[in-house]
Amino acid sequence: MTGDAEVVLALALGVLFAAGTFLVLRRDLVRVVFGVLVLSQATNVYLITMGGIGGVAPILGHGGETTDPLVQALVLTAVVIGFATTALLLVLVYRTYQEHGSIDLDDIQGAVR
Amino acid sequence: MTTTLVVAPVLVALVTSITCIFVRFNPRVQRACSIVGVVGYSAAVFALLARVWPADTLAYQVGNWPAPYGITLVADPLSGFMLALTAVVAPLTLVYSVRHLKPPGQRVSYHTLFHFLLVGATGAFLTGDLFNLFVWFEVTLIASYGLVAFYSDSDGTLAATRYVVLNLVGSSLMLLAVGGLYGVTGTLNMADMARWLAAASPAEATPVLGLSLLLLAVFGLKAGLVPFQWWVPSAYAAAPAPAAAMLAGVAKKVGVYAIIRVGFVVFAAADPTFTFGGLAGDLFAAYGPVLFALAGASILVGGLAALDRPTFEETLAYSSIGQVGFIVLPLAVAAAVPTLRTAGVAAALVYALNHALAKPLLFLVGGIVEDATGTTELDVLGGLAGRSPTLAGVFLVGALSLVGIPPLAGFFGKLLVFRTAALGDAAVALGVAVLGAVLTIAYVSRTWNRAFWGERTDVVASMTAPDPVRLAVVVAFAGCIVAVGVGFAPVYGLAEAAGHVATGAGRDAYIRAVLGGGVA
Repeated sequence: MTGDAEVVLALALGVLFAAGTFLVLRRDLVRVVFGVLVLSQATNVYLITMGGIGGVAPILGHGGETTDPLVQALVLTAVVIGFATTALLLVLVYRTYQEHGSIDLDDIQGAVR
Repeated sequence: MTTTLVVAPVLVALVTSITCIFVRFNPRVQRACSIVGVVGYSAAVFALLARVWPADTLAYQVGNWPAPYGITLVADPLSGFMLALTAVVAPLTLVYSVRHLKPPGQRVSYHTLFHFLLVGATGAFLTGDLFNLFVWFEVTLIASYGLVAFYSDSDGTLAATRYVVLNLVGSSLMLLAVGGLYGVTGTLNMADMARWLAAASPAEATPVLGLSLLLLAVFGLKAGLVPFQWWVPSAYAAAPAPAAAMLAGVAKKVGVYAIIRVGFVVFAAADPTFTFGGLAGDLFAAYGPVLFALAGASILVGGLAALDRPTFEETLAYSSIGQVGFIVLPLAVAAAVPTLRTAGVAAALVYALNHALAKPLLFLVGGIVEDATGTTELDVLGGLAGRSPTLAGVFLVGALSLVGIPPLAGFFGKLLVFRTAALGDAAVALGVAVLGAVLTIAYVSRTWNRAFWGERTDVVASMTAPDPVRLAVVVAFAGCIVAVGVGFAPVYGLAEAAGHVATGAGRDAYIRAVLGGGVA
């Protein structure tokens, strides 16, 4: 059962990383932001799988083999940091749009040159 | 005697930066808080340095959770060296900032961001935990995003967006590597990981090679090494001059430090009988060629690109790429030749110190020039030397230190880099370093000829007199460069003690201090 879930997760991770990489390489700044978001969420899912997904909730005395709580704490930290940086990035993209009148990187860079 | 002192520099900077938010309605009080805070920071750093001098390691277990379960902050000569460098650059740059930036900008965010940059860099220098290193990186980065976007003009927003996107991708990669390393080794504590690697069989340790190189790529990105260098020029050109000075002087060194700490202390601990594919010997031996490729390319790309930049700060930004290459070059040699570990790390540290003094000096000179003449275009400037001999003299000290002329700090930096390459029989590294030195001479003298010598142009003839306080700051930087060059023995002593941690005995002492100790 756990083995199947891990295969599914591994495949999902592969798709997420591919999609994130694809989006980061777009010319449209908003898509780039989406790409960064997808990449960071994929990383978080990957971290969760590092701790194993077969065990019970890691509470003392719950019985049985628990999953690793440390990675969950790491992901929690990473989610908070990711939230803040994404918010900042969205503001920056909006400011870039205000300054340059475009979110197409080719247009912006052409104008800057 | 407790080891609580280890956490003092972080706390001082954190308290200062939060206080600066609350007193922002009174600019005078805010400036005073900020300056008192940075002086307190330096005092805390030097008090800590006195404790680790000449070769002691202090470990502070945060929240009294014993390592490897809790987070450990560790102060050893390597951290001490980087902290001391920060504690010299930061106060001078802050005094300069107070005079350089317009009051509204200072009031809203500058002081808070500045001190948060210090918090992040200091935490990164002190932490003994890999995930915690990620968190401190983020703190440093978020502050530097604010500083790059500070002017919020058309160049600033674009440069900051580029910088943020690149670093967010870098952060994801770092998390991947850290998570993977945790999955393989079962620990995040650096000392514990080094111990695990030393005991692991080659088969067990194989995944660590790839993951550690992924981590190295992220550190290379933070340090601005080729091929991760594209964020550097636009970010430095967009940031205010003192912020660029802090980014080049301190924030970049965080990446260099991480390469030394995680590479030379943790991954170098792996079993020497490791074999993987065509690579035999040390797991860490793979680092030699990789670091060399990064360093060599940085020296050449940075040096060549700096040759024809139109403005003062762009020249400096590209030069900064090349100079970080010089810092990493001895590390590449040391990674390949185990007997040179101490010498290589010491050379890198001395060069980092030279760069951390000379580059902020040059950026700040650029800031003074821009403020007085309204431009940093090298085509428009000329004859500054006659207009302001002090400024020209200071520029010359910084420039000659980059080139490596005795008795300045840069002479010893270059000398040690060349010595490490020569001792390692690394002819190619030596050749690249010589070529890089020639390029440095070329772009430095070009900047000097264009801006300081020659006919006095209109903008220079009509420029206002440079602000004496800011002039005093750059003179102080020049004084530091001369002082390090003249009184070099203790500096090298500390650098060598710091390099010792990259050897087997030094690593064992580090591991004992972190895992054996507990809260004394």
